[in-house]
Formats: sequence, C-alpha cells, structure tokens
Amino acid sequence: MSSTVISPGELKPKPPAEEPNYLNVNHTISSWLLTGDHKRIALLYLVSTSFFFFLGSIAAGLIRYELTSPAGVVLESDTYNKVFTSHGVIMVFTFLVVAIPAIFGNFLVPLMIGARDLAFPRLNLASWYMYMTGGTLILAGMVFGGVDTGWTFYTPYSSMYSNTQVSMVIIGIFIAGFSTITTGINFVVTIHKMRAPGMTWFRLPLFIWAMYATSLMMILATPVVAITLMLVVYERTFKLPIFSPELGGDPVLFQHLFWFYSHPAVYIMILPAFAVVSELIANFSRKRIFGYHFVAFSSLAIAGLGFLVWGHHMFVSSQSMYESIVFSLISFLVAVPSAIKIFNWMATMYKGNVHLQSPMIYAIAFLMIFTVGGLTGLFLGAAGTDVHLTATYFVVAHFHYVMVGGTMLAFLGALHYWWPKMTGRMFSDGIARVNAVIVFVGFNLTFFPQFIVGWLGMPRRYHYYYFAPEFQAYHIMSTLGASVLGLGFILPAFYLTQSLFTGKKASANPWGAHGLEWETSSPPPTSNFLETPIVMDEVYDFDPVSEHARDLRNLQEAEEWKKAHDGMDNLPEEDN
Amino acid sequence: MSSKTSTPHEHHIVSTGTYFVTLIALVVLMIATVAIAQVNLNAIGPFSGTVVNQVIALVIAVAKAMLVITVFMGVKWSTTLTKLWVASGFVTLILLFGILGDYVTRHYEHQSGWEKIEDGSLPRFTPDERTVPGPKSNDLNVKIRQ
Amino acid sequence: MSAITNSPDHGHGHGHDSALHHQFEDIGQQNESYIVGMWVFLSTEVMFFGALFFIYTLYRWNYQQDFYIAHEHLNVIMGAVNTTVLLFSSFTMVMAVQSAQLKKRGHVIGYLLMTIACACVFLIIKYFEYSSKLADHLYPGAGFATDAQAAFGEHAIEAGKVAVNMNHAQLFYSLYFGMTGLHAVHIIAGILVIGALIRLWFNNAKSVTLDFVPTEMVGLYWHFVDLVWIFLFPLFYLMPKPH
Repeated sequence: MSSTVISPGELKPKPPAEEPNYLNVNHTISSWLLTGDHKRIALLYLVSTSFFFFLGSIAAGLIRYELTSPAGVVLESDTYNKVFTSHGVIMVFTFLVVAIPAIFGNFLVPLMIGARDLAFPRLNLASWYMYMTGGTLILAGMVFGGVDTGWTFYTPYSSMYSNTQVSMVIIGIFIAGFSTITTGINFVVTIHKMRAPGMTWFRLPLFIWAMYATSLMMILATPVVAITLMLVVYERTFKLPIFSPELGGDPVLFQHLFWFYSHPAVYIMILPAFAVVSELIANFSRKRIFGYHFVAFSSLAIAGLGFLVWGHHMFVSSQSMYESIVFSLISFLVAVPSAIKIFNWMATMYKGNVHLQSPMIYAIAFLMIFTVGGLTGLFLGAAGTDVHLTATYFVVAHFHYVMVGGTMLAFLGALHYWWPKMTGRMFSDGIARVNAVIVFVGFNLTFFPQFIVGWLGMPRRYHYYYFAPEFQAYHIMSTLGASVLGLGFILPAFYLTQSLFTGKKASANPWGAHGLEWETSSPPPTSNFLETPIVMDEVYDFDPVSEHARDLRNLQEAEEWKKAHDGMDNLPEEDN
Repeated sequence: MSSKTSTPHEHHIVSTGTYFVTLIALVVLMIATVAIAQVNLNAIGPFSGTVVNQVIALVIAVAKAMLVITVFMGVKWSTTLTKLWVASGFVTLILLFGILGDYVTRHYEHQSGWEKIEDGSLPRFTPDERTVPGPKSNDLNVKIRQ
Repeated sequence: MSAITNSPDHGHGHGHDSALHHQFEDIGQQNESYIVGMWVFLSTEVMFFGALFFIYTLYRWNYQQDFYIAHEHLNVIMGAVNTTVLLFSSFTMVMAVQSAQLKKRGHVIGYLLMTIACACVFLIIKYFEYSSKLADHLYPGAGFATDAQAAFGEHAIEAGKVAVNMNHAQLFYSLYFGMTGLHAVHIIAGILVIGALIRLWFNNAKSVTLDFVPTEMVGLYWHFVDLVWIFLFPLFYLMPKPH
C-alpha cells in the first residue's frame, strides 16, 4: 500500500510505544475489581462467562459420552439427570443470556454511540458482582448434590418431590437474573440519552437496535421468572400449595409463568447474535446493510412478538386447545422478522466486496446454521407435528442449532472481530479461519444426527435407549462431532491468548470497517474518545467506488475521491 | 434528535396545595372503597352483584393509582420517554394476564386437566367419547426390538 | 462513517462543585437519565409484583367462595388504617422532594423522618395483624388443614360435610403472606434507603444538596411501594360476598 494512503486511525501522529489506554492506565487488582469503566467490566465478564462455559461444556461432554452406548456408560440415572440439568442451567443462565450482551454490549454500546461510558457505571459493576454471586451459588448447588429437575424446574417435582439442591440453585439464578435486569436498564437509558451529536436513531449501527430490543425483553420478562422460581423455593420450604395439584394448585400455572420469561429469554439469547451478524456482514461485504429499516424494526418486532408465543412450549401440557391454536399461529408470525433479517443479510452480501476473514466465516456459517435451526422450529411451532416431536431429540437439535449454531457462532465471530479493538493485538487470521471451519464441521456432525434420531423417536433427557439400539450409530456420530466441536472451542483460547503476548499491535481499524468504535485507538482510551465525535452520516456509508479500491489500479482516482469526501473514507488494510 | 442537550428535568415545582388536595382525594377514595365494599350491590345487566362490587373496587384502586402516578410521581409533567416507560410495565403485565386465556377456554371441550376437588375424591377424568383412541403400536413404523 | 470531532467538552460543569458525573454532558441529561432509569427499574417491579397479582387473580376467580370465607379473618380496619398511613407517607415523601427542589435542608430531613415514622407505624400494625394470624394458626404450612380448623368456626369441617376447603383457604393465606410479606420487605428496604438519604442530607453531602434528583428517585421508589398497597388492600381485604 502506498505511503500516501492512510487510514483514519493513523491521521494523528504515530503514537509512542505505549499510549495510555483503558488497559494500561492502572494495573492494580482493585482498579479492575472496583472499576466503573464499561470496557474493563466487559473483560471481567469475558473471563467469567468463559469459565462457566467451560464447566457447562464438561457437562455436555459427559452427556455425549454417556449416550454412546444404549445402556449408558458410567452414569447412574439420577446422576445423568443432574448432569443434563447442570448443563442446561449453566449454559442458559450463566452463559447464553449473559455472554454477548454483557461482554460485547458493555464494551461496544458506548463506543458505537459516541459516549464516554454507560449511563450508570457503578450499577454496571454491581451487575457483574451479582452475576458472580449468582453463578457461584449455582455452582455451589451443583457441587453440594446437584439438581435433577432439568433447567425448566417443572412443578410439582421441583417444588415437592425432588431431594436435590433446588433452592440453592434457584436463588443463584434469581440473583443472576438481577444482573441481567440491571444490564438492560443501563443499555436502555444509555441508548436513549447518551448518543453523540448527530447520531439519530436511523444512523445507529444495527447492533444497537438489536441490543435495545434485547434490553426490552431483559427488563420486562426476567422479573416474572424471578418471582416464579422464588415461589418454588417458598413452596419447597414452607410446603405451600401454589403449584401442588393435591392442594388445589395448578402445576401448569408454573409452566405458563416460567415460559412467559423463558421464551423471550431465547430471543434475549439470539437477538445479540443478530446484532453481531449485522455488523459482520455489512463490514465484511463492504456494503450498506440491505433494508436497514427492515432489519432495525424486525429486532423490535421479535421482541414484541416474542412475548406472545410462550405457549408453544406447552402444547402437550394439557393447555387449552384454543390457546394452542393461537400460540401456534403467532409462533409462525414471529418467524417472519427473523427471516427478513436472513434475506436482508444475504442481499447485503450479493454484489458486495466480500472479505472471507475469520469473523465473516463465522457470520456465513451462522446464516446457514441458523436458517436450519429456524426452519426446524416451524415443525415444532405447528401444534400437530409438535405432538410427535416434542420431548425428543428433534427439539434438542433445534435449540442447539439456534443456540450453539446461532449464538455461539456469533459469539466467536464477535470475539475475533472485536479482539483487536479490545486488546490492541491482532491474532493470526489463518488459524482463526481454519478454526471456524472446524467449528462448522464439528457442529453439524454433532447436531444433525440428533434431528434424525429425534424424529425416529429418541426421547430427550433419557440416559439409555436400550429399547432402540439402532440409534447408537447416530449417537456415536454426534459424540464424535462433539469432540471436533470441542476442539473448535478450545483452540481460540490458545491462539487468542497467545496473541496477547506475541500478536502484532493492532491499528485503530485493522478490518477497514465502519463504526465509531473503529475511529478510536485499539485499545481505546478510558474515556473512549479523545474528543466527542459529531456524526454526519449513517454508519454503513460504504462508498461502492472506494470500497472496491483493491480493484482500482488508479490510486490517483482513489485519492481524488478521498479529497472530495474530506479524506474520511476507510481503505482496507492488507490482510495477512 | 441529539441527546446532548436536553431540557433540564422539570424545574416545574408543584405547589404544596396540589399535593395536599391529591392526598385528600386519595383518602376520600379509600373511604369510598371501604364503604362500598360493605354493601352487597345488585346485579347490573348480565353481571352479578359480586362482579359489580369487584369492578368498582378495581376502578377506585386504578383511580388512586393514577393520582399517585401522575401527581406524586410527577409523570404528568415528565417527558414522553418517561411516560412510555411508565406504560410499558403495565402493558406487559396485561400480556401476562393473557395466561388466563388458557383457563377460560380449557373446559370448552371436555378435556381432563385441572379440576376442582369437590368432595376429596380423585380429579374427574372425562375423556371425550368422540375421540378414538390411537393405535397402541408405534405409528412411526420403527421396529422396536423387544 | 464520516464524523468530525470537535473540541473537548470537559469544561462544562465537571468541576468539584458539580453534581455532574463524568459520563454525562450536562445536568439536564444526567437528571433525565436517572429518572428514566428509575422508571425502567420500576417497570421491572411492576412485572415482579404483577405476576403475583396474576396468580392471585387466577386462584380467586376459581375459588371465590373459599377465598371469601378465608378472608373474613382479615381486619379491614387495620388494613384501612395502613392504607391511610401509607398514603400520608407518600404525601410527606413528595413534600420532601419539593423541599429538596427548594433547597430547604431542614424541611427535607423533617419530611423524610415523617415518612420513616409512617412506615414504622405501617410495620407495627402489620406486626399485630400477623401476630393474630399466627395465634389462630392461620399461616400456610404442612399442618394448616388441621390446625386452622378452629378459626373457621361454623365453617369448620363437620362429619362428612366440608363448607370451606382447607386447601383453598391455605392457598389464600399463602398468597396473603407471600404478597404482603414481599411488600413489607420492600417497605423495610425503603426505610433503609430513606435512612441513608437522611444521613446524606444531614451531612450536607453534595450528591444530594446540589441536585434534587437523588431524592426524587427515592421518592419514586416509595410511591411505588404505596401503589402496590393501593391494589393489595381492596383485593385482599374488601372481597364481596359471592353468591
């Protein structure tokens, strides 16, 4: 690249060896544990959620190992129940709901809107401590005997009959729920009140729209599950009759209240993934997102409609047939905004200047895997077919396609994409691309056989299947896939950590992307921006001419274009 | 719309008189609701007297709540954003009450389920005679080894 | 994206004498953020209590007769006095906020103390109510069906005849103690927060004297607690006799 072409991050004179940034400004432990800086809190979340994810994956490994033989391998039935419950509880409540919003939301929301910090930094720190307290209580419950009710805690088993650590784990979930609520409050107020001058709603990155919709659900749905789970604890402790059929209560009431939260919860898990994918696809196609308004409003539509479909988890629970019809219909409707996003993303890539760097590979893999996951949700959303498929491995495969293939892939894509911004170091993109393919292959090998074996009748949460030994081939394939997938999850821990020490220092905008976060140094200073940015145009203002500059042999043309636009375009750096 | 400069939170200082009148109104409404509750009202149209009583009690409670929210909590003089958030909690709560739809429609068909225990006997199970029991064997045509 | 940067804005009011926090541009933005943030939190409380109100609605609709008989043991006078006390405490709270706006420190502390006094009266009356329930064995638990029979007088189980279903009565009392108990927990939390606020005002802390919004935020919480009771009172204490 000619020396006359510079990217905006280097408009200022070359910095000395270590410019003060949020990482090196203070090295003491208390400066980390008592920080109000949203970026440091994001890193605290990164470390802690990775730890919980690791524990949850051990449980997953045990499950897959156990299922390689029709009569089970090492676990008793009771222990198996505890293992899949801990897998579910840890993955849902301490990882999926938290990861992308708390790490990337915390880090990026102020940066993307041009603010110095979130609205309530001390509340943000309190949020992390609540998360750690809740997570620790959950783990304590697992260690002191575990829980065998399933992550759904259906009554009356959880409220009356189970002899396991239900109360302790529920209190942990309760506390962690408040972490979610406070994060949501922070995001909503920040996005409403702290946007930089000129940053109107429709100039916002789509990441912010999706984070806002996620926060809506976090705020309004989480309290319902909090009080419902607390009632289970009261019922266990004081022998109350609220959900007990013998005493006049209704166990299905618990299911209604539980799913009133837990369905929006799954959208809380996937909307941040949509947020990430919007950013990845736009920036790596060097093209404005197709149908920006549609994608923005579809996030809100998903949040709104997501509150109206909880009954599709209860088609076989003796819920009224008329309700089932209504829920089935609305479930089909809620698929529409997700489909709108998928089509718009694909249209963005069409005739875009697609750069297949590792974050983009994750994003493309997301498109494929999430589409399969979403389509299989329709089989489950139709009440008739759901009667056959519910409580089988078809459901398990469906939600792992959208949760792991959706949220986890977006998480990895986000981690790679914003790693240089967060740490100031570039990792080796070659290894990262290979890893993305490993994850994709391993994922499909793990979960696609589960669709088949579920349709054939393998029930979920069973630890043996000696009545159908022909399922073994599928289970073994799934376990092999899980090993590959596990490798794909472990490798980034190594090469990303290694980049902290030996990776080359990242410039402000190593990917050539658009967004306010790329206009400050990597890593950013504590106050995010040296001067308050004033926004003149929408974020995805890629110019088709200059973004295809790699094809432009005539650099003079590029420079003239640059002059005509005040020299503010981003030409991509060479990739490694 | 830039959020950089915003109108300072209303330095509109509400007079003591307004607050005091609101308090009196609240106490009056409270006395009214207690008084009306002592009287068994007559039915109005298709609604029984009990329902009328309950509706009136709720209407009075909502009126009291509106007074507290608009005057004491200052929502009357607040920004649109605040008003939207005040409303959103209650709107979502109404969505939660949609769960009642299940209970209202459960008994339209003679389905088993959550039935009242009248005399201590087991819950009634009334399978609909019109339904034909499904085939006992697996209908997925999967051979199951015995 | 195109963005021009302007000169730093850090001079405006971020000095020592200002209540402005570093992440905000001006005090107006900060105050609105705090008020909106408080209402967002209150909407979570609406859902939290709201779910309990829903459960109550469902069960009362299905067990009207039994809930009516069970509720007859509640003391309407005590409930009405409690309601009045809380309404008055809302008044004193909002007067405290007004005094904070007018920067009248003495008045603020006075009104806040009156609010705490009202809250304590509420809790004392609640204590008497709960004690009488406990004395009559009218609390939910494993032994309710047998222990509470005496309380129901002529409704008690006679041989072969059940006029009130003890399970449903127990359900009523579970919800009564659960909801009023949760409400009382919120009252206690409110007392502690108002106490902390009084301490800040007493010490002339800049965080509360320079800007009235922290006081207003505590006021919003307190009014919410009053709101919950406004609905609890008629629903539990003022049930009409079912036909």
